[in-house]
Formats: sequence, structure tokens, C-alpha cells
Amino acid sequence: MTDQISFPDAVQWAVPFFVAAILAEFLWIAVKGKGGRYETRDAVTSLIMGAGNIASGFLLGFIAYGFFMWLWQITPLDLGTSIPVIILCFALDDFRYYWVHRFGHRIRWVWANHVNHHSSQHYNLTTALRQPWTYTFTLMMVVRAPLILIGFHPAMVLFVGGLNLIYQFWIHTEAIGKMPRWFEAVMNTPSHHRAHHGRNARYLDCNYAGVFIIWDKMFGTFVPEQENDRVDFGLVHNIGTFNPLRVAFHEWVGIWRDAIQPGLTLRQRLAYCFAPPGYSHDGSRESSEQIKAKHLARHPEDRGTPGFEHFDTKLPSGQAERV
Amino acid sequence: MPLEILLVLVVGGIAGITLLLHLTGRSEPFVLTPETARDQWLRHAPDDTIIDVTVSNDRHAALVRTETGAGLLWSFGADTVARHLLDFDWIEHPEGFEIQFHDFGTPGTLIRLDEIERAHWRHLMEPE
Repeated sequence: MTDQISFPDAVQWAVPFFVAAILAEFLWIAVKGKGGRYETRDAVTSLIMGAGNIASGFLLGFIAYGFFMWLWQITPLDLGTSIPVIILCFALDDFRYYWVHRFGHRIRWVWANHVNHHSSQHYNLTTALRQPWTYTFTLMMVVRAPLILIGFHPAMVLFVGGLNLIYQFWIHTEAIGKMPRWFEAVMNTPSHHRAHHGRNARYLDCNYAGVFIIWDKMFGTFVPEQENDRVDFGLVHNIGTFNPLRVAFHEWVGIWRDAIQPGLTLRQRLAYCFAPPGYSHDGSRESSEQIKAKHLARHPEDRGTPGFEHFDTKLPSGQAERV
Repeated sequence: MPLEILLVLVVGGIAGITLLLHLTGRSEPFVLTPETARDQWLRHAPDDTIIDVTVSNDRHAALVRTETGAGLLWSFGADTVARHLLDFDWIEHPEGFEIQFHDFGTPGTLIRLDEIERAHWRHLMEPE
């Protein structure tokens, strides 16, 4: 069993590239007069969130790494560090990313961490760096456990995870329309990921892919960006703060306030923590299914179009039913 | 990467990009008109039926009355944020009103109003 393997921290080494690419995108937009928008406080908030994400890695990363090294000690398997193994690890880790990301949108406890990445109403390369600070608290590191138990070294798993995040940087842009058709078919692209960042009813809970969009196509969550439904970036209920601390922790505070309300059953308290975002014990909030149903009630012509294939509006009081 | 170099890159990058954006005019807040206020409100609350819209003289806030109650729309950088006026505190401020929402992610906003507007908005915001 090999313990002493080191891989570079790819994300840290990519920081100069991130800065240069942001400047290039900004200049492109300024010269062309199209391809996205920049706003000072929004961008600064995103950049500080990115810096905080690196800092939280320094402060809390040892917890996940300690867990991974413990798994590495107990597994009898070691696939080594050959190039084919690294490539395989990258592909499987992207599959892992798809599910963690999907959990991040469907389980409020995980959404509390991920929500800040969606909290900008802009979509440019700084948005890519609007990263969470509280990933450790979600315990989603357990989803990586199978990779280590089947013999991928923890350092390699973290390395390919870093490459995955670096890949996702460039797709946070409006400056690129569509990539060649073959590329759009297989890879996550700016177009696919714009849809993911949309708050339009059509685009809620779609396109969870990191690198390969095939996972969404396999598991029925793929929605192509529509020319007749321009993506409106941000949250269903956009937040009104540029304060990075509020951005990072607002949903955790929301969970706390909801779960400690007097008069709730234990089941309701747990639902406020772990049910999909939009849950409420009294029906005062809307889930993404209900938002889609209401949209279809207003726009029946959209029934059956991408993002609405699996929804109907027949249930009373806006309750959507998957069909 | 050595920590000192990473720190310089991060701090220098943030400072440089901030300066560049500000100096090239990317700090201007969203300017509201009755039409854009209406559009923005429906963007945030597509189920609402708007009765009327009152835009502040500084054009950075709007009081939107809907069939389900009043709401506040305000400039948030180059964008807008909207909230129904359901759970909030309203504090007098030398420049207008400070509205505090009981929401950690949207703590509140300062609505700048002149004296004449202030009386009108106070009247519109009172529960019916």
C-alpha cells in the first residue's frame, strides 16, 4: 500500500490563469459590447468567496483528508498511479461530482453549502469562483469513499477533483455561445451550464454535470439552453447582500430558524434540514416542482418542451405531479 | 505553490480586478423606471398581478402594489432585489426609510426619499 504519493494542488496553481482569464473576458465584453456583464460588488463578492474557499480548504481540509487516508489504510486495493488509472479516476470522480451536485440541489443540508455558488445574478468567470466555505459540514466527502476503497489513492482523487473544478471555470461565461455539436453532445459547456444557473422554471434542477454532460443525459436531468427562453441567472428568491459572510451562511441560518420553530414535529424539523429546498410544513413555500407547475399553468404552450417533459399541472393548488 | 506567492496573487488579483471594474464604470446601480420596475417585479414574482408602481425620485427603489399586497423593489448593484412587505421593520432615516427584513440573506435596504415622497410612501406602505 503506497502512502507517500503527492500530486500538485491544481486549483492553487490555476489561480494566475483564473485572474488572466477574468481580465480577458472583461476586455472581450468591453470591446465587443456583448457576451456578459460585470458589476464591481458582485465580482468582488465572488472573488472573496473564492479566496475563502481556498482558506476553508487550509482550515478544514484535514478532516476529509484524514477520512480518506483512513479509508486508504483499510482497503486492500491499490490501482497505482499510471496515466490510464488517473484518467479512469478522473472519469469516475466526475460521476461522483454529478451525484454530489445533484444532492446539492435536492437536499437542503447540502444546498445550504452550494447555494452561494448560485447567488449571483451575473454569469461570468468570477461567478465560477463564487465557491462555498462549508463543504466539510455537508459530509459529502463520503461520496468519494468508494473511489478510495476500490484503490484510487486519496491524493489522486483530490488531484482529479481539482482538475474537474478547473475545467468548470471556463464554462461560466456568456461570451461563448455554443461549442461544436460533438463537443456539446459529450462535454459540459457554457451553454449547458448557463441553463444550470437559470432561475427560470424550465431550468430548475437540471444539468448537474461537472465535465461530462452524459451523466445528465443518462439520468434524465439534461435540459438544453433554449433560444426562446433566455437564462435569467440567480436564485428563485435572489438574496440582497454582497456581504461574503451572509452569502456563505445565509441558508444555514435559514435552516436553523426554520427547524427550531415552536410547534413542529420531529419529522417536520428534519424535513427543514434534509427535504428539497422549498419545503415548508405549512405549504407557504414552493418547491421547484410546484414552480414548474405554476409556470405551466401560466404558459400551457410550454408543456412537453425541454425542462417540462415530466410535469403536469392537474393537481390542485399548484402541486406538481411527475408523470 | 508557496503560501506567500498564493497570497500575493489572490490579494493582488482581487484588488486589481476591483479597481479595473470600478474605474470603468461597473459600479453604477440599476436605474428604475415604472416600466423596468414592473418588468423586474414580475421577474422576481411572476405569479403577481401588479396594481401600480411608484418609483422613487432617485430611481433606485420602487413600491409595487399587487393584488396580494405591497412589495419593495430596489437596485442591487446592476440588478434588483424584490421582497413582499410581509415581515419587516420600518425605521425612519434622515435620508428616507431603512427597511429591515428578518432575513439573514437580505437584511434590508435604505430607501432614499425626499420629504414629499416620504409621506406618500408611508401612506402606500401602511397595511390596508
